[in-house]
Amino acid sequence: MRIKDIDRDLSKAPVALQVSGVSKSFRLYRDLNLSLKEKVINWRKRGYDLFWALRDVDLEVKQGETLSIIGPNGSGKSTLLRLMTRIMVPDSGSIRANGKIAALLDLGAGFHPDLTGRENIYLNASILGFTRREVDAIYDRIVEFSELGDFIDNQVKNYSSGMYVRLGFSVAINVQPDILLIDEVLAVGDEAFQAKCLQKINEFQESGRTIVLVTHNSDLAAQISHRILWLEHGRVKSLGDPVEVVQDYHAAMRVHPKGDEFGTREIRFTEVTMTDERGESKKVYRTGEGVVVRLHYEAARPVEDPIFGMGFYDHQGQMVFGTNTRLRDLPIPRVEGRGTVEFRIPHLAMLDGRYFLSVAAHTRDHQTDYHWIDKFLYFDVESPGRDAGYLSMDCEIRWSGG
Amino acid sequence: MRAEVRESLRELARYRELLLNLTRKEIKVKYKNSFLGFLWSLINPLVMLVVFYVAFGIIFRVRSEGIAFYAFFLMSGILAWNFFSNALAMSVASVVNNGVLVKKIYFPREVLPLSYIGSAGFHFLLQELVLLAFMLGFRVPLSPWLAAFPLVVLLQTSFITGMVLWLSAFNVFFRDVQHFTEILLMAWFWMTPVVYPISYMLNALPAWAQKIYLLNPMAHIILLHQYVVYNAAHNAPSNTYISPYGIAGTALLSLALVSLGYLYFKSKEGRFAEFI
Repeated sequence: MRIKDIDRDLSKAPVALQVSGVSKSFRLYRDLNLSLKEKVINWRKRGYDLFWALRDVDLEVKQGETLSIIGPNGSGKSTLLRLMTRIMVPDSGSIRANGKIAALLDLGAGFHPDLTGRENIYLNASILGFTRREVDAIYDRIVEFSELGDFIDNQVKNYSSGMYVRLGFSVAINVQPDILLIDEVLAVGDEAFQAKCLQKINEFQESGRTIVLVTHNSDLAAQISHRILWLEHGRVKSLGDPVEVVQDYHAAMRVHPKGDEFGTREIRFTEVTMTDERGESKKVYRTGEGVVVRLHYEAARPVEDPIFGMGFYDHQGQMVFGTNTRLRDLPIPRVEGRGTVEFRIPHLAMLDGRYFLSVAAHTRDHQTDYHWIDKFLYFDVESPGRDAGYLSMDCEIRWSGG
Repeated sequence: MRAEVRESLRELARYRELLLNLTRKEIKVKYKNSFLGFLWSLINPLVMLVVFYVAFGIIFRVRSEGIAFYAFFLMSGILAWNFFSNALAMSVASVVNNGVLVKKIYFPREVLPLSYIGSAGFHFLLQELVLLAFMLGFRVPLSPWLAAFPLVVLLQTSFITGMVLWLSAFNVFFRDVQHFTEILLMAWFWMTPVVYPISYMLNALPAWAQKIYLLNPMAHIILLHQYVVYNAAHNAPSNTYISPYGIAGTALLSLALVSLGYLYFKSKEGRFAEFI
């Protein structure tokens, strides 16, 4: 799902959130001194380290804009969101918001287990700053969206976690704040409800409201945002076009080749190459392209019955594809001196991503490695972008009907 | 700074509905799932009444000090004291105990302690109504000063609010405060003429210690309650002690506590989420 008017010109829109030069540090107490006694004993010792969660962050979110914040754990995403809601105050700099904010930091955070769903709707909405009359007008919509039905008059403590989350989301999204701040909460709930939430967010966007979303799901972020802010170590690493930022982000998050090498070296690789079918060595391949992996080896003394293999690994170290001469029934009774083993792959099946190549020579029982070079070479695969997932597959789609 | 204060007061006004809802929640939830429910709010002071009536009225013969309707004398003091002590005990930890909310949602934090004061005040007013009904039932003549009851409650509530703003904010940084408050309340109770007539204390203390004893703002508030609710006419003159200076001092102190406490609370509020 992609928002329809993603290219809407926001440059002239009024500012919804103005973040200027914001820094925020936390004191990481070595041992949290919360009793007076310890405080007195450690009077002069500074029992904490300063941790800068955010450093000089400038950001302007326009009205009607959807901005996603991505970044690795501890990069300051959630802190920035908390500062926007005023749950915390920055050490320096300022944050100004124009309009009513509702934050989805934790669905149903304000729910009281002993109150009914109905009572909690009013309580939760007033925590978000909305009046009884405002809630009266949208009460039915909240209940309907939450799919709670008659459960609405049960105590919340009897709800399943799914019901809890649905009610929480339903209140926050239906009270119609001007600015909606969302922290990872879309990761909860079943898929049907998630789809419903996305649809609601879509409506929210179309009605010209502002959304700031913190997420680990950068693909989702790219789909629904006008711009993406990439935070790293509390600083703005990049801010701009969702597709570009997410691409850079993906590239940076990939592991670098480790290049571990081990084995007895009774068979030793002298050179390993990976090329396309014309013999050209490349860093980027297209899905469906053919590749050739050549292992040039040297065995000082004769070796009986060796196995040669290769494998592709993804950035998380998972093997995507691997094969060897034993699996492919190519007997090599004995090697001595120099030689070459060639793996020809006519169609690379992987979709977008960075992949690593490992090669190995070992005994048939795999008890002894002669030479293993682990993920020493990497290449990127680019796909035409027609499919999603890990692999490209042939697929024919037919349609019949009216 | 004045603009900031005005802005935060305006914000508090915007969140009055939340204050009401939280108060209502507190009232609803307190006796939920208990069989006697709201009756507990009456049973508690009644048991206190019986205990103190036996101890002071019968064993220590306080009644002989010229206190007619001693049970009602006791009750007017106990209810007022309970309002103070319940409100304090519940609101001191209010910010800390609502940590989930504080960390996840923004709203003016003073709403939390205030809602507990509201809930304690609600119970207090109901108890007073029941007390008055009993006084009428037992044909205890009421005082015309009863009309001043709202003013007494106002004075007491502002004193409570002032205390609570300081203590609840302080408690976020030093959890000792909530434990300290429990002990403080116990000691304070005996330093205040709730169950004994003030003449007992004044007769026993040298002049300089009397002065210190009368610096206790709660003493003046309780004396006022005994004056307007219980009706001073039933009491020996030596047991009714109404000092205009004491009352004015209490009012000034409350005002100072509330306004400075509010400023302190607001200045620390931004760091609450980090310390919980």
